[in-house]
Amino acid sequence: MAHDQSSLLLRKQLRDLNKNPVEGFSAGLIDDDDIFKWEVVIIGPGDTIFEGGVFKAHLTFPKEYPHRPPKMKFVTEMWHPNIGPDGSVCISILHEPGDDKYGYEQASERWLPVHTVETILLSVISMLADPNDESPANVDAAKMWREQPDDFKKKVGRLVRKSQDEL
Amino acid sequence: MAEGALNYDPSKNYDDQTCAQQRDIEKAIADEQPLVSDILSFDELKTEYQDDEIFKLKIDDLKGRYKHMRKTRGDGNCFFRAFGFAYLEQLLNNNTDFPRFKEIASKSKDELVALGFPQFTIEDFHETFMEVIEKVEKKCTNEEFYQLYTDQGISDYFVVYLRLIVSGHLQKEEDFFIHFVEGGRTVKEFCNQEVEPMHKESDHIHITALTAALGVNIRVEYMDRGDTPKCNQHDFPDGSRPSVYLLYRPSHYDILYP
Repeated sequence: MAHDQSSLLLRKQLRDLNKNPVEGFSAGLIDDDDIFKWEVVIIGPGDTIFEGGVFKAHLTFPKEYPHRPPKMKFVTEMWHPNIGPDGSVCISILHEPGDDKYGYEQASERWLPVHTVETILLSVISMLADPNDESPANVDAAKMWREQPDDFKKKVGRLVRKSQDEL
Repeated sequence: MAEGALNYDPSKNYDDQTCAQQRDIEKAIADEQPLVSDILSFDELKTEYQDDEIFKLKIDDLKGRYKHMRKTRGDGNCFFRAFGFAYLEQLLNNNTDFPRFKEIASKSKDELVALGFPQFTIEDFHETFMEVIEKVEKKCTNEEFYQLYTDQGISDYFVVYLRLIVSGHLQKEEDFFIHFVEGGRTVKEFCNQEVEPMHKESDHIHITALTAALGVNIRVEYMDRGDTPKCNQHDFPDGSRPSVYLLYRPSHYDILYP
């Protein structure tokens, strides 16, 4: 059954991440009985305006994982060109080739079965540090980032403090 | 406006609907077509082409040269799925090539990791790949092999790993294959877009790379609209003695039994 293979791979990754934690994030299950729904906590990368933030997000894996990508959604309030107003993360590696909703460039890296929770989160951390305003999921945030960088910085600073208070 | 009429709004994005529709089509195909079918006669194949004289002549041509066939599911993975099934089934019945193949298969993981593929997932796919190969080594019955290879999870993992082998080979021989990559892409981009993702259809370049990487020769019989009464054949590599025989109909591969 396809199902077995995906849950096996997810279990293996969870075990591996608990044993060898990766700097910048931690990962666990939302509900111990459901291996397809993860909760991750990302630490805002140093030397960026997100530094010091503690951002919670959910990863939902399809039954076809790893042949199809998971969906990722921040639960903590975010303000970023590539995070939708509902918290959905929109980066090219979470989309399959041919899924062109956000008009990614042809060469941008897409979902591949070799990707893991770790490679996804490392991409998300680099997205926080380096937004891509070619394909914004939050048009207002993209506009502010481009045109009023000081306001953008202030707004993110407020959310960073708020994320710390929510701990 | 009439009910149900197409009301296209160019400012809207229809990508979600396109994707959903694509999923529905995939599901319908999965419900209708097994990953690998039972053995079929060419007369059964003919029933698909009742009014098609050219294809019927070509099927007669195949009938004179092959015993029977198996169909594979049309899910974009058919080349890899057909190849894996045909080759392993053959090893099951005649294992003279087995030691050579097993050594290549075992070593392939370290080669892929050395090429920069992420170890964690490569190990996972490789483990399943080797499990299937070891079942064949232990001489499971043909029925057991069929059950194993048509288990979607295992079968898809096998396909993923064959795709990785092709990607690894293309990247290793980049200087050669760059001449066959279309669209001004690098070999790595081509692999990321056309080789490693599931459901991406295979072309000559995939077949060339797979036969070279595994040292298993393939003959493809092309059944197309051309008005000759016979199928065209192509051997990969050119002039080699084939051990796996596949039937190609426009954008689909099935298995042939000589």
